[in-house]
Amino acid sequence: MSSQRERSRVLQSTRKIGELILEYFSKAWDAKAQGKPVAWITVFTPVELLRALDIYPIAPEHFGAMCSARGLALDYFQEAEKKGYSQNLCSYSRCGLGYVLSGMSGLMPPPDILVTFRNSCDVYVKWWQSLRMHLGTPLFVGEAPYVLTSDDLDNYVLDYVVKQLEQLVNMAEEKFGLKLDMDKLVEIVKLSDKASELWLETLKLRRFKPCPLGGRDSASDIFPLVVMQGTDEAVKFHEELLNEVKEKANKREGIIENEKFRLLFDGIWLWYAFDLIKYFEDRGAIFVYEPYSEAWAYRLDASKPLESIARKVLAMGLNLDIDLRIERFLESIKEYQIDGAVLFSNRSCKSWSAPQLVTADTLSKEFNVPYLLFEADMADPRQYAEAQIKNRIDAFLEVLGER
Amino acid sequence: MMYIGIDAGASATKAVVVNNEGEILSYVIVPSGINFKVSSEEALSKALQKSGLGSEDVLYTVSTGYGRALVNAKSTSSEVTCISRGIHKLFPFVRTIIDVGGQDSKAIRIDENGRVLDFVMNDKCAAGTGRFLEVMSNILVKPIDDLSKLHFKSSKPVKMSSTCTVFAESEVISHISEGSAIEDVIAGLHEAIAERVHSMSSRIGFEKDIAFTGGVAKNRGFVDALSKKIGLTPTLPGEPQIVCAFGAALAAMKKYEVTVSRP
Repeated sequence: MSSQRERSRVLQSTRKIGELILEYFSKAWDAKAQGKPVAWITVFTPVELLRALDIYPIAPEHFGAMCSARGLALDYFQEAEKKGYSQNLCSYSRCGLGYVLSGMSGLMPPPDILVTFRNSCDVYVKWWQSLRMHLGTPLFVGEAPYVLTSDDLDNYVLDYVVKQLEQLVNMAEEKFGLKLDMDKLVEIVKLSDKASELWLETLKLRRFKPCPLGGRDSASDIFPLVVMQGTDEAVKFHEELLNEVKEKANKREGIIENEKFRLLFDGIWLWYAFDLIKYFEDRGAIFVYEPYSEAWAYRLDASKPLESIARKVLAMGLNLDIDLRIERFLESIKEYQIDGAVLFSNRSCKSWSAPQLVTADTLSKEFNVPYLLFEADMADPRQYAEAQIKNRIDAFLEVLGER
Repeated sequence: MMYIGIDAGASATKAVVVNNEGEILSYVIVPSGINFKVSSEEALSKALQKSGLGSEDVLYTVSTGYGRALVNAKSTSSEVTCISRGIHKLFPFVRTIIDVGGQDSKAIRIDENGRVLDFVMNDKCAAGTGRFLEVMSNILVKPIDDLSKLHFKSSKPVKMSSTCTVFAESEVISHISEGSAIEDVIAGLHEAIAERVHSMSSRIGFEKDIAFTGGVAKNRGFVDALSKKIGLTPTLPGEPQIVCAFGAALAAMKKYEVTVSRP
């Protein structure tokens, strides 16, 4: 009975994500077998460009999230820790390194090139350098300066990133004898833009009361925008999802029956603890907006493919000045009629967690929106104190109920 | 006719029985042990016995605390709400509550009606909770109740550099072996935990009056250290450890009234 109810809280489309992921990895092995280069990338690295070069992109960060969700991450963490990597390092990096150190016999084929852009995360470059040390694979490191004002998305900062994209193309041409086909790139950029457009439209439907797409959906449905940008499959997935959500919205059908509290969730999701979303929902609370899910969509202009891609690399949420981020936060409070905010202070992700108090204080001062801040890790269940977190959630929801 | 609140805490389980006026008829505190079901049953039957009433007189029971879901009660409520209700009934003028229990510490800001405006709780760490002091009293082989007395004998509290329970343990040992007086180490530990609680609570501010609750508020050494950090004299309930269970009993009374007023 309860499992039936729980199932009904997840959209039909979302249930297809698992299959899509497995297919994605299986195609990676196919590509490898056909002699095509496989790139291990950090997210918000230009997937569209790699795809146009016929390089198959895989993101170990996504792999870490997936392993954590499926209960496979612990073995990889321990593998990395056995070799001396500290538990205080980012859990995605420990998972990826553990995978390499345990012989790479799982879902990810070994890389032929390592590509990263320093655009949000402090760990990327050192993590990728460690991978190079273990694997001896060629490494490309791009540098995206911090975006202080929106002007930086059009000035010399943008030119600087475009130059580096050209260098990445040169490197691929030199190493693998590949040629960039501009027509192909334009088509890929169009598809990538389309999937983003669809996702943004889908997210907007969460403004409906009751909300037709929940936290469990948004945490999963981003997958096609993480490494599958520029593919027909990604567009198809998001078309179907949009139709399903539209239908639900038109019928005024919510993810939960009795929607009492509409919440904002700030952070990466805790991949091993999806039941926490259910815990909120059982108490009438639904997540209607997350900066994280929105961050994966970025509109591209096919008439200027390289500039567009460079802008996307730069505009990655964590690479934006905090004022720009807060602005978006505050807009969302109005747009989505948010009653409260849940902020997840992530031990792995200092770039995300450090500015949280600033945003939280702005929320409570400017909008009188109460917030709950709790600490855990996105992928490592050993850093998670379930009873303690649920204790705080109960208190928080009671406070919301009394308002 | 009466109402019961049970606070199944990480360290101790408390039961409070109140009458129709919300006045305390009886209360008990028992160790939680490893089985909340057993300890809550024990607390409940002992509290009933003390009240002189029978279980047939109980109209409603509310449980709270870590083990709340395992207690045989009609409904549950969070500690933040219960502590606020309890304090508001005892001291309506209080606006800020600092509660330090076995596994959690919290600071709560309430309005003139006892409604929670904001709260903050410790992160996933035992520093700044009763557990920290329990561990230290074990190493020092001093019963937890002696910590208060010894605190006030200290003339030169040692400076603890770590509030991590595990690291502080070895630090205590090295202070003792270097010849520090035990009372100075104890006062140093109180300083350390007070510092931790103080910085956590600062986020919601210290609007007057402030009250301290929870088991650790029975430790006058800690109360002294924290009051000095905050710079205010706190209001202290006669039995700080049962405020949460008392609030749960008041919540039981309110929930019963809501139930009967509905046709």
